[in-house]
Amino acid sequence: MIINHPLLGPRDAAEFVYLGDASLINRPDASSDDAAQAFYEYLYLRDNPAGEHKELWYHEQGDRSWLVVTRNTLTHEISKVEIARDVARAAGGSA
Amino acid sequence: MSNFTFVSQPVLGGFKQECKGVSIIEQTKLGIVSVACPNDGDAALAASIQKAFGCSLPKVSGVEVSDSGTMRWLGLQPQQWFVLFEHSAEQGAPLATIKDELGDTAYCTDQSDSWVSLAVSGPLAITALERICPIDLHLSVFPVGTVARTTMEHLGVIITRTGDEEFLMMSATSSADSFLHAITLSVKNITA
Repeated sequence: MIINHPLLGPRDAAEFVYLGDASLINRPDASSDDAAQAFYEYLYLRDNPAGEHKELWYHEQGDRSWLVVTRNTLTHEISKVEIARDVARAAGGSA
Repeated sequence: MSNFTFVSQPVLGGFKQECKGVSIIEQTKLGIVSVACPNDGDAALAASIQKAFGCSLPKVSGVEVSDSGTMRWLGLQPQQWFVLFEHSAEQGAPLATIKDELGDTAYCTDQSDSWVSLAVSGPLAITALERICPIDLHLSVFPVGTVARTTMEHLGVIITRTGDEEFLMMSATSSADSFLHAITLSVKNITA
């Protein structure tokens, strides 16, 4: 599988480490009243879609960037690759 | 009582080989410093590099050479660069060469002892490397002045193109012998 890195171009998936669902970026607010429930859902509840899935990949043997990769879990087709920091910042995060 | 003096030795004993038109030479006098900048500190660092070394800050995958021609800046990842320059143990700590000039605009770490460097060159160098390197090394895709960090035979490698048929390859000293074995074997297997 080839991941088309936004900065480096096409790279073999062997250079990357897979973490999981990209929703892990959206860490709940620990100081909110429903923090316990929010963290339970954040940690344990996952969608398992047959189709398009946004996921986190780490370019460990490359530029050490975190990426959000949109991949079809049925065909392995990768339709979008973004730098995770850009995704987090666009969503209002402080990364 | 005798006075002992420690003398640093090259990781691979100054390895040199010429085989099937591919030359492999260990680079034994290379100072390597890692330079990282704070968040949004790229512009300040670029200014201090321009002033001190007369070159601009390379983008990721890019290489810039100082105006003296002796120092190479490799763009390894966002906000991090490796600086390579000729350096021998008698000249003191390699870190001072960079750190004193950049001041507070960068975080500098001496990496000289962590990497083994091999200059691989010759008309068939690319034939040897294409067996182990997952990066497309064709001149049109990976021209002179390009750097990439990747794996070869499961070893992390930084590869820079220094000439049309010349590459500088760096890998961890802890697995230097395996790295050398991977390259020499790939050269040996050239059938062309």
